[in-house]
Amino acid sequence: MTEVHLRGVGKDFGAFTAISRIDLDIKSGELVALLGPSGCGKTTTLRMIAGLEVPTSGQILFDGEDVSEVPVQDRNVGMVFQRYALFPHMTVEKNVTFGLKVRGTPAEEIKERLEDILDVVQLQPFRHRFPAQLSGGQMQRVAIARTLITKPSVLMMDEPLANLDTKLRGEMRRFIRDLQQRLGITTIFVTHDQIEAMELADRVAVIFNGNLAQYDRPDVLYQRPSSIEVADFMGADNIFPADISSAGVIDSRFGKLTFDPATAPAQDGEGHFLLRSEAIDLLLTAEGAETNLIQGVVRNREFFGASVNYAVECAGETINVSEQSRRLVEVGETVWLRIQPNHIWVIQEGSRA
Amino acid sequence: MARQKFKRALNSRLSPFQKIYLLLVAGFIVGPFVPLLIQSFAFRWAWPDLLPGTWWLEQREKSLLPLAWDYVISPYSRVWEATLNTVFIGAVVTVICLLICLPTARVLAREEFKGKASFEFFLSMPLIVPEAAIGIALLMIFIKIGLAGSYLGIILVHLIPTIPYMIRMLTAVYQGLGRDFEEQAMILGASRWQILRLVTLPMLLPGVVAGALFTFLVSTNIFLLTFFLGQGKIITLPTLLFSKISGGTLDASAAGITLVVTIPGIILLLITERFIKEEAFGKGFGN
Repeated sequence: MTEVHLRGVGKDFGAFTAISRIDLDIKSGELVALLGPSGCGKTTTLRMIAGLEVPTSGQILFDGEDVSEVPVQDRNVGMVFQRYALFPHMTVEKNVTFGLKVRGTPAEEIKERLEDILDVVQLQPFRHRFPAQLSGGQMQRVAIARTLITKPSVLMMDEPLANLDTKLRGEMRRFIRDLQQRLGITTIFVTHDQIEAMELADRVAVIFNGNLAQYDRPDVLYQRPSSIEVADFMGADNIFPADISSAGVIDSRFGKLTFDPATAPAQDGEGHFLLRSEAIDLLLTAEGAETNLIQGVVRNREFFGASVNYAVECAGETINVSEQSRRLVEVGETVWLRIQPNHIWVIQEGSRA
Repeated sequence: MARQKFKRALNSRLSPFQKIYLLLVAGFIVGPFVPLLIQSFAFRWAWPDLLPGTWWLEQREKSLLPLAWDYVISPYSRVWEATLNTVFIGAVVTVICLLICLPTARVLAREEFKGKASFEFFLSMPLIVPEAAIGIALLMIFIKIGLAGSYLGIILVHLIPTIPYMIRMLTAVYQGLGRDFEEQAMILGASRWQILRLVTLPMLLPGVVAGALFTFLVSTNIFLLTFFLGQGKIITLPTLLFSKISGGTLDASAAGITLVVTIPGIILLLITERFIKEEAFGKGFGN
C-alpha cells in the first residue's frame, strides 16, 4: 500500500504558527493516531496530509513522492469526518457511489463495487435510506464505505469514536480494526482521547503545541513516556521529583527506591520518576516485603465496581493506587506500598528528549 | 389541504383566546382583499352604501363579464403587457441577484477579513436611504447615459433594494452549511463545478428558493423606482395600478388590476411551498 512521510512539515496561519515542525514516518498498512489536546495542531496535520491545507514548509511524501502541492482531488486519499458529512439529500447508495460517479467510473463497475462495499460494511438493508434515518454507527459505516469504495491510498479519520456511545464504541473499534487489517490500508486518525488512541492505533504520535512530543507504540507511551507532559496526557498521576543515579537508585522524599536501569536508562542528576497506579502493590503489613516500601495512610477511596482507587498519603504527598476490587481497605488504615524496580519509570527531560 | 389544517388547528387544543387571535390574524391578512373582490364583481357601488347598489349579475344583459374583468382582459388595460414586464423583470432580477449574492454570502459566512463588520453594515444602507432619493439621483444619471426607460435600467435599480435582503438570507443559510460537506466532496474527487452542482446548491436549495421567492416578490412590488426609471415607457403591474388609483378612487377596473397584481406572487408561493417541503429537506441535515 502506501508509506507516508512528513519531512519538517510546518504550517502558519498568518502570524499564528499551528505546526512548527513535524517529522513523521508512517509505515505501509499501519494504523497511526495523532493524539493531543484541542488546538495542538493534530487536525491541521491531518488536513495537510489530506491536501485540504498546503504546508508552509516541509514536504509530505506518499511512497517517496512529494505530494505537498498535489490538489486534494488528485491525491487519492480518503477521509471520514468527525460528523461524517454525509450528504443529507442523497440516499445511502448515492452517498456511497458519489466518489466513483464524479470520477466518471463506468456504471457497471460502480454497481459491482457498490454491492461489494455494502456487504463489507453490512449496510445492504439500508441502501435506500437517507442519512437522517440512520443511527450514529450506521452513519459512520456509510461514511467509511463512501471513502473505501474509491480505494484511497491513505485513509484518514477525524475522531472516529468520539460521536458514539460506549456500547457502539467497542463495536466500531473492532469493525475499524478488522477492516483496516483486512484491507491493509495505511490509516491515520486524529483524537484528543488517549483511550481512543491506545485502543485503536499501532503507533501514537503525541502532538503538543505544534510539535511532535513522542511517537511510539501505545504501551510504550503509557509506561515509558519521554516527558512529564506526555505522561500527564496519558493519564499518569504519580510523578515526583527526585535525585537519580544511573546505577538505579532514586533518592526522593519517600526515601531511597531502586529501579531497573535496564528498563529505565537514566543518567546521574535531577529528574522525575513515575509510578503507575496499577503497578503498586498495597500491603497491609510490611512483613515479608523486601525493598521499595513506602509507608502511608489511606486518605480516600473511590469504588468503581471492578476496580477501586485509593489515595494514600505518604510523607506529605499523595500517591494514587488502583487495584482490582477483590478486597476493600478502609480509609484511615496504615498501609505499605511496594513497587517492583522494573515498574518504576524515570523521566529526565532535556537529557533524552 | 390548507383549510383542513386550519380547521384542525382551530379544533385541537387551542384555548378560546388563541382561536380568536388566530381568526384576527387571518382576518387581518385576508381582510384587504374582501372589498377588492366585491368591487370587482359590482356594477355600481356608490358611497355610502356598505355593499354595491347594483351587482354585475343583475346587469348581465348589459355586459357579458363583470365590468372589472371585462376591462382587465381587454387590450386597452395593458394588463397583459404589464404582467409580462413584471414577471420578466422579476425573473431576471432574481437570477442576477442570486449570481451576485451566492459568492458574497459564502465569503461573509466563512471568512474573516478586515472591515467585515463595517462592510456588513454598509450592505444595509440601500434599505435605510429613502427610495425616492435613490430614484431621483439615479434618474439623472440614467438619463445621461441612456439607461432611463430601458429594461436594463429598471433591472439595475431593482437590484438595489433586493441585494441586501438576499445576502442576509443566503449568509444565514451558508452559515448552517459546514465546510465538511464540500471538503468531503473534494476529497472524493469532485471538481469545483461538481461540488457546486451536486453538493452545495442542493443543500442550499431551501434557502436559495426562499431568497429567490422573496427577491421576486420584492421586485414585482417595487413601484417608485420602476415609475421613475421606466418613464412610462415600461409599465409594470405596480405602475399600471398607480395610474388607475392615483385619482383617489377605487373603481372596478382598479380593483380588478389589484387582484391581478397578486396573482404571480400567489402562484409562486404555492409552487415554492411544495418545493421546500419535498422529502429529504424536511428531515434536517443529519448529524
